[in-house]
Amino acid sequence: MVKLNSVLVIGAGAGGIKASLDLAEAGFKVYLCDRSPAIGGALIRMDRWFPDNHCGLCQMLPAFSTDDSSRFCLRRGLIHPDIELMPLTEVKEVAGQAGDFRIGVTSRATGVTPELCIGCGLCAGVCPVETAREFNEGLAPRKAIYPPHPGVLPYVYTIDWDSCTKCGACVAKCPTQAIRLKEGEVIRQLRVGAVILATGFEEFDPVLATQYGYQRYPNVITGIELERILSPSGLTGGELLRLSDNRAPGSIAFLQCVGSRDSRKDYCSSTCCMFALKEATLLKQANPQVDIHIFFMDIRAFGKGYYRYYEQARDELGVKFTRSRVPVIREDPPTRNLVLTTIEENGALAKRQFELVVLSVGQTPAPGFQELCQVLGVEVNKWGFCRSELFSPVATTREGIYVCGSASAPKDIADTLVEAGAAADQASGWLARRRVPPTPPEEAMESDAEEAPRLGVLLCDCGQEITSVLDLEEIAEFSRQLPDVAWVARVPYLCYTDAWQRPAKELRKHKVNRLVIGACSRYFNTRLGEIGLNSSAVQKVNLREHIAWVHGDNPKVATEKAKSLLAMAIELARAPEPEPASPVNVHPRALVIGGGLAGLTAALSLARHGIEVHLVEKSAGLGGNLKQICYTLEGDDPQALRENIIARVKTDRLIQVALETELMEVGGYAGNFEVSLKGKESLLHSLEVGAIIVASGGEEYRPTEYLYGQNKNIITQKELEGKLFSAKLDPRNISSVVMIQCVGSREKERPYCSRICCSQALKNALRLKEGNPDIEVTVLYRDMTSYGFQEEYYTRAREKGMTFVRYEPESKPEVRPEGERLVVEVAEPVLGGRLILEPDLVILSPAIIPPENTPLAWTLGVGLNEDGFFQEAEVKFRPVDFLTEGIYVCGLAHSPRGMGESITQAQAAAQKAVSLLTREQLVSGIAVSETIQRQCSQCELCITVCSYTARMKDVESGEVVVRGALCRGCGACVVACPSGAAKLRGFKDRQVFSLIDAAF
Amino acid sequence: MAEEDQFEPVIVGFFCNWCTAAAADLAGTSRMQYPPNVRPIRVMCSGSVDPVYVLRALLGGADGVIIGGCPPGDCHYVSGNYRARRRMAILKTILATLGLEEERVWVRWISAAEGAKFSRTMNELTQAIKKLGPNPMKRDWSI
Amino acid sequence: MSSSAILPVGDGGVLGAVRAFLGSLWQKKLIDALLVPLELPSGDNVVPAIVSDPEKLKMANPLAPVMPLNSARQVSAITIASPSAERLGVVLRPCEMRALIELVKLKQASLENLLLIGIDCPGTYSISDYGRFVQKVKSPANDFLSKFQEGKEDPLLRKACQICEYPVPANTDLVIGLLGMDLNNSILLEAGTAAGERIIGELGLEKGGVRSREAAIAKMVSQRAERRERLFEQVRKDARGLEKLMAALATCINCHNCKTACPLCYCQECFFDSPVFKFEAEKYLGWAQRRGALRMPTDTLLFHLTRLNHMVISCVGCGLCTEACPNNIPVADIFRLVGDKVQKDFEYVPGRNLDDELPLTTFREEELHNIGI
Repeated sequence: MVKLNSVLVIGAGAGGIKASLDLAEAGFKVYLCDRSPAIGGALIRMDRWFPDNHCGLCQMLPAFSTDDSSRFCLRRGLIHPDIELMPLTEVKEVAGQAGDFRIGVTSRATGVTPELCIGCGLCAGVCPVETAREFNEGLAPRKAIYPPHPGVLPYVYTIDWDSCTKCGACVAKCPTQAIRLKEGEVIRQLRVGAVILATGFEEFDPVLATQYGYQRYPNVITGIELERILSPSGLTGGELLRLSDNRAPGSIAFLQCVGSRDSRKDYCSSTCCMFALKEATLLKQANPQVDIHIFFMDIRAFGKGYYRYYEQARDELGVKFTRSRVPVIREDPPTRNLVLTTIEENGALAKRQFELVVLSVGQTPAPGFQELCQVLGVEVNKWGFCRSELFSPVATTREGIYVCGSASAPKDIADTLVEAGAAADQASGWLARRRVPPTPPEEAMESDAEEAPRLGVLLCDCGQEITSVLDLEEIAEFSRQLPDVAWVARVPYLCYTDAWQRPAKELRKHKVNRLVIGACSRYFNTRLGEIGLNSSAVQKVNLREHIAWVHGDNPKVATEKAKSLLAMAIELARAPEPEPASPVNVHPRALVIGGGLAGLTAALSLARHGIEVHLVEKSAGLGGNLKQICYTLEGDDPQALRENIIARVKTDRLIQVALETELMEVGGYAGNFEVSLKGKESLLHSLEVGAIIVASGGEEYRPTEYLYGQNKNIITQKELEGKLFSAKLDPRNISSVVMIQCVGSREKERPYCSRICCSQALKNALRLKEGNPDIEVTVLYRDMTSYGFQEEYYTRAREKGMTFVRYEPESKPEVRPEGERLVVEVAEPVLGGRLILEPDLVILSPAIIPPENTPLAWTLGVGLNEDGFFQEAEVKFRPVDFLTEGIYVCGLAHSPRGMGESITQAQAAAQKAVSLLTREQLVSGIAVSETIQRQCSQCELCITVCSYTARMKDVESGEVVVRGALCRGCGACVVACPSGAAKLRGFKDRQVFSLIDAAF
Repeated sequence: MAEEDQFEPVIVGFFCNWCTAAAADLAGTSRMQYPPNVRPIRVMCSGSVDPVYVLRALLGGADGVIIGGCPPGDCHYVSGNYRARRRMAILKTILATLGLEEERVWVRWISAAEGAKFSRTMNELTQAIKKLGPNPMKRDWSI
Repeated sequence: MSSSAILPVGDGGVLGAVRAFLGSLWQKKLIDALLVPLELPSGDNVVPAIVSDPEKLKMANPLAPVMPLNSARQVSAITIASPSAERLGVVLRPCEMRALIELVKLKQASLENLLLIGIDCPGTYSISDYGRFVQKVKSPANDFLSKFQEGKEDPLLRKACQICEYPVPANTDLVIGLLGMDLNNSILLEAGTAAGERIIGELGLEKGGVRSREAAIAKMVSQRAERRERLFEQVRKDARGLEKLMAALATCINCHNCKTACPLCYCQECFFDSPVFKFEAEKYLGWAQRRGALRMPTDTLLFHLTRLNHMVISCVGCGLCTEACPNNIPVADIFRLVGDKVQKDFEYVPGRNLDDELPLTTFREEELHNIGI
């Protein structure tokens, strides 16, 4: 069977975009469909994310072959030659099998022909229909014909058929006859090798939680609505205002777990705690005087850096936290304030008034998700999410169809994007790998460099959008006078499909080799082929968005500005074209550091894609921490998994395992590392690899508290698990145990949640109960962190009569021996007294800690975070990458995580490495930096400031050289260099000087 | 008519591709009006704006210069805007110490979503430069 | 590392004592060669020289109150290609040592295998003033020091020296201490590093110190700081604002001597000498048209502002730029005034410490909130 090269990604939110970009970067053809008219999903309605309050969306864009995709903010859109966006599209039919699916999709007509629409907005001006706007969560109106969101590229309108009355006013008004008021569907058959399901989630509809009065009370809003209020692109321009009276609220309450963790939805939505914390943090930072109160059951801040974020909100920003369910909200009619009745932890009822209430609504499956799953032939679980298994988290029940993000369980962006990488990895296993052909240095380019510049200037009227403000004839005349300009022309609409035919002929006739386009913000790069020029020979001036549309009241000065901008662009275009940097070869081989679950999984993924793998393990055996995990909460068999993957690794021809071996030295760069390894007995030997995966693991903290090690009846969860599994311990001989959570976690010296200990405790507690229903199990906890579907087991544990007693970090439980017995004493917050227990066993849940990672990090030249775990490039958007390209991280080396999460992350890391290693060559972008050796003093300032290790001192020549493939063209080196030896191709100082000169 | 109304300053703007240039486009599609005095130059990163470019503009004929970058922490290139901030701080201190009207140089962080902030900033900047009057450096033949 | 020893001053005066000490480094085989200022036969100048024959030490005069060039640049020249294979002693004034630290950070010099000997610096004359000074006295070094001992600071000393707050070297292995000493009897040899301490031991010198030194240093530093503030006031009055600054730069002929003399301007080829500044005729004429006239060569102010931009954060205030200016432009005064502000903003003291990162190679996320809103 001939493998196909294409893949379908369903859902263009965070997960779908990330999976598509990963696949496209790896050389596959992606169909990315979405039911909505634009990409972005929940993602683009948010401006910044926890736990760093930053936006990092653009970090998802490819790190290699950067020029292939659009290079602008992803909020504006995504343009990649290998990603075909299919808006308003649904999957109707799936036939075939993994490797060769035939998929029927229907795309609804937008009513507006994108090639004709110039985005002038005259249609919306005459449209009589006003309806709620999705982008702003329905908080602000829009017309029935509208741009999906402001700033989208291309800036094209679309029709909302549900509210359109088909009055025809827009059709009559449209200057380009772009509107067809005919609802229609286009049916297409796609042939793809694999499918990725990334449909995300739907917010729980808070109307269903009638006790909170959502929609009845205008000042009860949801978290995402608050996000839109706070957004600079939102309806109040970023100012915190109540919608009832446009007044800034002085007090705000957040209610957690709305639509999560109740009898109807017995799961935790995993993200709402952090989302509320983020909102609270941003609110407090902007409005320190606002009183913010979060009502919650447990704070589940279990991701990397999340607990610190919680502490910062609580201790530094003064966000108040109350552990309480809120049964009901009433409005105080005159003020429209809200009165919350709360049940405090001690059972007392209290009433509190707030000016604004924010509901932290949970995640539910997207509407129509069940039907979609039926079409796809994949099973859903009992909560209506896509079913997946613990040890194959991105696999669905149908081969060749993978899932990522909230489609399979509620999760945040960080976890979603890791899964997206893993899904891309798994899906690409079914695809014919298209080696990315090295872009041949375009012959035209080289000859151009020698040729004298002959410039063409192409000015677009954009109907009257530009000409109504700017005197284009005057501007054209002005352009003609400028040096090297050989040809100037005007076109009515440059975006039209046939608009380039005539100019192309003229360009050839006048031997034009550089072009300056005066038009709009549209991305024309994809059309440059039609005129035989590449993007480095073209300069653009945005006459419409930067001038005509914003200076309508001052046409004279606006025309002067237009002339200046054209003169500036012409100066840039006159500069000699850069010669392409030479590509470098890639060693198609990977080094995996660590033979635990993550390392083994990564190695298998790499080998599946035909990559030769060298796996080094420090210890004498494979399996890492997995050796000690005997069973799981969900009932899977970790030991079977262990045996299976070790056997597969050992028998795989492409994988070489070296035990008791360590990495000593690393030289080189992405695609071309030279690593030195040292075995226990063997000599130092070196190896050339193209990529390195760090899966060096983590370990269990050895408690120093609670008399651990001094009493045989005080043991850790892991020890208990071993004893239960090996039947060394019979639950029937035990009458009571006390479990203590957060031992060594969430402490001053380790301010992070270890993520897995709560589920571990539940798992062992349920096992004990299974063996002996009469055992009294008391869990002393701080916040039960049974996120996602683990919540069900927490519920089950309580149903089985286990006692959960919360303790405060200031008054920790006290464990002491009294004669033969162990006594545990703890302050009981509900009754306010002290609880004294005499268990047979005390079980401690210790933290997951990093091993001493400093030497390895130093050898690799990568960073560690404050807790000693490896520091990824960006916490959300580049979760398995380092800033140093070609090195990736997964598993406990990254942060505490469960088995399934380690597997996912290992696959995501492997995907990144495969994407790099299946290239024969790494090609530089056009605007990469270079060194003029004559001017270089080797001060290395440029090397210091480069974020991408793209600059290095060549050992042999002593020269500072650029690894073009790693350079992103940011220009930091250019500024760092005082002598001007560091230059950016296409943007040299000389050109900039000319450009600046032309501004006056 | 007051003199400052007649004076149309020329201001050079260095706008980072990822944030401020996008905000300029957004201001455009949202048709937010602002004065036409700023000549935008798109750069990949605010960290690639060499102070010598700013000086070149100021000494060569600009009445003002603005550098627009991603908000702190949001730089596409990780730390370009933090580095730009240090460089521009030094440049402004040099100008201020020598009494060379450092207030003609503005640094602003404007994200891709902040079209309104972009147009507001252009308004404020143009007003401020109009108030300062023409840059004396551009008339001086002997600098 | 507070160990120090007293070097007795005999008939040869302080200079004799210093020469004797330098000679002893050879005797004990602690160095193979020494970079030290030697008196030229003409007698009216000293230049740094690499001495490999201790015989030549009789011309050594690191105390001559003149600094024709900043030896940090010479250390750079010697060590930039590869560190010295032999053990090289280097005698440096404080500003030379501070410049050297900056050059090491800029990868323009290596301290490997160097024995760094710093020497207290009461100040220096310009070359021409020194030439006149030596005419008048028998032993310029000793005579200068005895005057200095009396607490008389010659107003003819270079302005940069008169306002220098670093009369005592830091970061050197050894310091030859003059301040606070009774120069008729003894000078001080102080260890600044473990290596220096070892050397004091190996030389068999008796350890000892003086209490008067600290106060003497403090007094001198405070006097100079006071003078510095007065100078800043003056520069602000004379050179602030476009008009006054251009008046100060009126005599600039774009010779770029200031750049050549600067120990820190390390560029292989100056940006201003690069092809970026080779313009077409149409450009020149265009600029002239815009302003009515165009000063030639162009970019006088741009050059000075850019050099400030590149170098002021590392400026050690040695003042050689002013010395190099053929037309007496107070380049150093301007650099000191601006440098003082910029360096304080980043809590950076050039030459203080090898471990202090150059401010432009790093950043803090939370800082400079006034720049950019």
